[in-house]
Amino acid sequence: MPQISIIMPQLGESIAEAAIINFLVKPGDHVEGGQDLIEVETNKATMTVTAPCGGRIESFCAQLNESYAVGDVLGKIEATKEEAARFGLDLPTPAKSCDTDTEVISKKSRNATGSRVEPTVRGLPVPANASGASYMSPRLKARMHELGLSAADLAGIAGSGAAGRVTVEDFEKFMAHLDKQKLTRASSMRVAVADAMRRSWTRPLATVGLPVQIDAVLLHRKTCEPKPGPALYALRALAVALAENSAVAGRLVGTNIVHPSAIDVGFAVEAEDGVLVPVLRGADKKPLKELVIRYNELVELARQRKLPADATGGSVATVTNFGTFGLIWATPIPLPEQTLVLGLGAGRKMPHWDEAKGQFVPVMEAYLTLSFDHRVLDGGAAGRLLLRISDLMRQPEKL
Amino acid sequence: MLQPVSESHAVGETQLAAYRFMLRARLLDDKFAALYRAGKIHGGVFLGRGQEALSAAIGVHLNKSDVFAPLIRDAAGRLAFGEPIIDAVRTYLGSALGPMRGRDGNVHRGRPTEGYLPMISHLGAMVSVVNGVLFARRMKGISGIVGVACLGEGATSTGAFHESLNQAAVEKLPLVLVVANNQFAYSTPTSSQFACPDLANKAIGYGVESHSVDATDFSACMETVGAAIARARAGHGPQLVVATLLRLCGHGEHDDASYIAPEQKNSKLGRDCLKVAEDFLLKKEFADAAQIAVWRSEAIREIEEAVAQAQREPAPDPYEEKWSALSSEHLNELREET
Amino acid sequence: MAGDAGDLGVGCWMLDVGCFPFIPHMSITYLEAIREAQAHALRDDPRVFIYGQDVGAFGGAFKATKNLQKEFPGRVLDAPISEDAMIGLAVGTAIEGMRPIIEMQFADFSTVAFNQIVNQASTLFWRTNVPCPITVRLPFGGTSGSGPFHSQCLEAIYAHYPGLVVLTPATVEDAYSMLLSAVAIDDPVIFCEHKFLYYHLKAEKLPSEALPIGKARIAREGRDLTIVTYSAMVHEALAAADELATEGWQVEVVDLRSIKPLDTDTVVASVARTGRLLCVGEAWPWGGVTAEVIARVSAESYGLLDAPPQRLNAKDTPVPYHPNLWAAHRPTARSVAAAARKLIRF
Repeated sequence: MPQISIIMPQLGESIAEAAIINFLVKPGDHVEGGQDLIEVETNKATMTVTAPCGGRIESFCAQLNESYAVGDVLGKIEATKEEAARFGLDLPTPAKSCDTDTEVISKKSRNATGSRVEPTVRGLPVPANASGASYMSPRLKARMHELGLSAADLAGIAGSGAAGRVTVEDFEKFMAHLDKQKLTRASSMRVAVADAMRRSWTRPLATVGLPVQIDAVLLHRKTCEPKPGPALYALRALAVALAENSAVAGRLVGTNIVHPSAIDVGFAVEAEDGVLVPVLRGADKKPLKELVIRYNELVELARQRKLPADATGGSVATVTNFGTFGLIWATPIPLPEQTLVLGLGAGRKMPHWDEAKGQFVPVMEAYLTLSFDHRVLDGGAAGRLLLRISDLMRQPEKL
Repeated sequence: MLQPVSESHAVGETQLAAYRFMLRARLLDDKFAALYRAGKIHGGVFLGRGQEALSAAIGVHLNKSDVFAPLIRDAAGRLAFGEPIIDAVRTYLGSALGPMRGRDGNVHRGRPTEGYLPMISHLGAMVSVVNGVLFARRMKGISGIVGVACLGEGATSTGAFHESLNQAAVEKLPLVLVVANNQFAYSTPTSSQFACPDLANKAIGYGVESHSVDATDFSACMETVGAAIARARAGHGPQLVVATLLRLCGHGEHDDASYIAPEQKNSKLGRDCLKVAEDFLLKKEFADAAQIAVWRSEAIREIEEAVAQAQREPAPDPYEEKWSALSSEHLNELREET
Repeated sequence: MAGDAGDLGVGCWMLDVGCFPFIPHMSITYLEAIREAQAHALRDDPRVFIYGQDVGAFGGAFKATKNLQKEFPGRVLDAPISEDAMIGLAVGTAIEGMRPIIEMQFADFSTVAFNQIVNQASTLFWRTNVPCPITVRLPFGGTSGSGPFHSQCLEAIYAHYPGLVVLTPATVEDAYSMLLSAVAIDDPVIFCEHKFLYYHLKAEKLPSEALPIGKARIAREGRDLTIVTYSAMVHEALAAADELATEGWQVEVVDLRSIKPLDTDTVVASVARTGRLLCVGEAWPWGGVTAEVIARVSAESYGLLDAPPQRLNAKDTPVPYHPNLWAAHRPTARSVAAAARKLIRF
């Protein structure tokens, strides 16, 4: 049975070579004419090399992650004479064979005969950097817009199109399938939070953590009336630290760090299927006892979903106390317009080595975690901020 | 509508009529030139100064049932064929009420269904259209008619001239081709236009009759053109008339014609046919100076009124336009890029 | 009169037919259909006449007017080799109310008459309000061995000019009914008859009704891909669709029928069903009908496309003489199928 060469096709004007990024079939597989065999990547697009005719894959001589020139032989298919004729391949090909010397299989080699390679590219290119689930055709975009969906919603859909793209057919199948499953309506709060978190996540976020002793805080709290929540201590400490160095709460816009003009700090309040973030304005300028009443007011308003417009928005950092859920540690996500979010975990009695006494002593410890936009500051600056907050929280009477 | 001069007038009457058309044409042309210099006209202005005798001679020998395809310098012939002055003025001034409704301008005007064909710019192209009109009328059984197409000597170089004259000859159509050899096609002298010693010789090549005439000579024009038209009407096939003159203006009013040598202007060829006609009529006592003066002032007033009227009329409104070139409305592709 | 009914743009010419002409053949070719339409027009309307080279006693280079001069003396007339003058004469007769059919011996020669077609005929109505009801018949398209000057497809060139109607029938039935409509239309019509289809395409009988001019036809229904094409390429597209059906794909084929006016609505409705568009034309790529269709769909219905719209045309060289070269020069069922597969797999 004739052996038909699988050759690197002419992929587009001015493209001379492409790199193998994925083999979709293996030797021994039976394939059909036109079936996708190998995924290749040029500097412009991801495309596929397809089977010149139906048959059995005899061998691949091309290797993963290597580049091959247009016209190079990448493998062989064993096909019947009829099949070869059907696809016009019964004429002898000028392509070089696999088992000749390695000159063929080298980077940047050119087709030695210098002839134009026919046929031209068999697959239509999917734009580079957009292959896979994130590429949306105009029709898919239009359809998703109709349904109020966004690119993030595509993540769960398997794509059957070129380079794994999600075709409209794939999409409609997915939607039809969804209809068969239990659906509950997402509240508008949920949708809003989803959008905010998606937008925030477009940045490179990192988290650092530090355990802080909160014995002093708990003692100080007993002496206050009304009693400030633990999170308020963290908030006030954060505000004071930011007043000392506001760059870490700045925003990166292009090549400028935009410093905050006021240290307004928000704090997360869980409210029915979502999170609200009321704000304490100028938290660096008022001592703790002056912030308590306002803080408690805002928490109550938030829980009742009655926050006035001027009580939210415009904050430069947020504090979240997930310790109330019993969590000791978490990596919160900053609001999309902020660089920092400070998390406070639940306090626990932990053994702490006391060098002077030469033994473990019990202390109340809670984890502070700081998630930050890594474009604005690095681990060092984040660590220093946390250390400062920790120091401030160990002297609560000064807050 | 068109009101041509009927054949039943005595020769003298016909010559007087022709002269009056020449005079009006000259004054109309002067008016257009003045408007052009005053910046009142969009696009070009093309005058027929020096060609009035030849052109008027054509118009006065045609009947309403004949066909006429005049060219750039035939203001006199158009008037003689019955075109009202207001048509010419409206077309030059772009009035929406003119025969071309602003879609074409200056000398590209006519009324096709009245046998008065509007020219397109490609020289020679109108001759086969005249052939077609004659062809159709013959198919309908109409006889005794004539079609006149006017050309300059430059147009005799075109393929269209050749094809059309040949076609008319093969079909034995009553076509009269009047070639005004005014020595220049824009700036191109006849020495660069053709190599034969006499354009009239071409007639032999096509198997048609020819006539030659000094186009500065008013009475000769009347006689020769009249004879050629009569021959065609009588069924002797296409007639080629070659008339010789000097163009007494630029190709258009934008052209100062400085390439025309003064010697030519001062030669017999450079005579003004209007003056020649006037002298002829005065000598024959068909008219006197006072009469001519009256005609002149009447014509000036008529022209002024037409210009005043046309200037008050609306220009075409692009928002009222049906922007389609097909008469079959339902076949219009209304895909506007707004 | 047949002419008046034609203004309605529907196949209303049939209303005037009292008795259907009896054709004694069992089948009728595309060429015979054109001859029958001309006979019908000559018979029904004394304003119609035919003018062209060798059309008289000889019956025309392709025999499209065979015996018509005998049946209609004085109405089928031989012209000298003067395409420019032929069209100029046609315009003159149209001004006088006649309805001339001008036969160009080959579409390729119509360029000698280009000036008269695009500057005289197509502008007459716009400039003067006097309609120009001429029909110019162009034998167009390639056949084996015809070479660069007997194979050209000029529909896009003429469609570019305002004031012209351009028709490209792909079937025997359309060749008949659309030529009758062309004569009835009051505007200049460029009627493109495909030379390959002349003798190769047969039908059982002539139609008794027809889609109006300006409507495209769904030649084959499908849901995976739309091929928009016209004239001989419709048959290549149908053959390609058959081949793809064996691979499990249903391809929809749209026969444009008229290039100008172009039925964008039918094309868009098809792309709405399939999301994928392949335009196929026998003419050259630059500014062709395929470019026009894609431009319209992309501009007006971008959100219907699930894949980039593609086109397949002849290679950008003059049409070659040798059959080997000619076979590779223009789209064939095989190359149409290959292009379709590419698009389906996107």
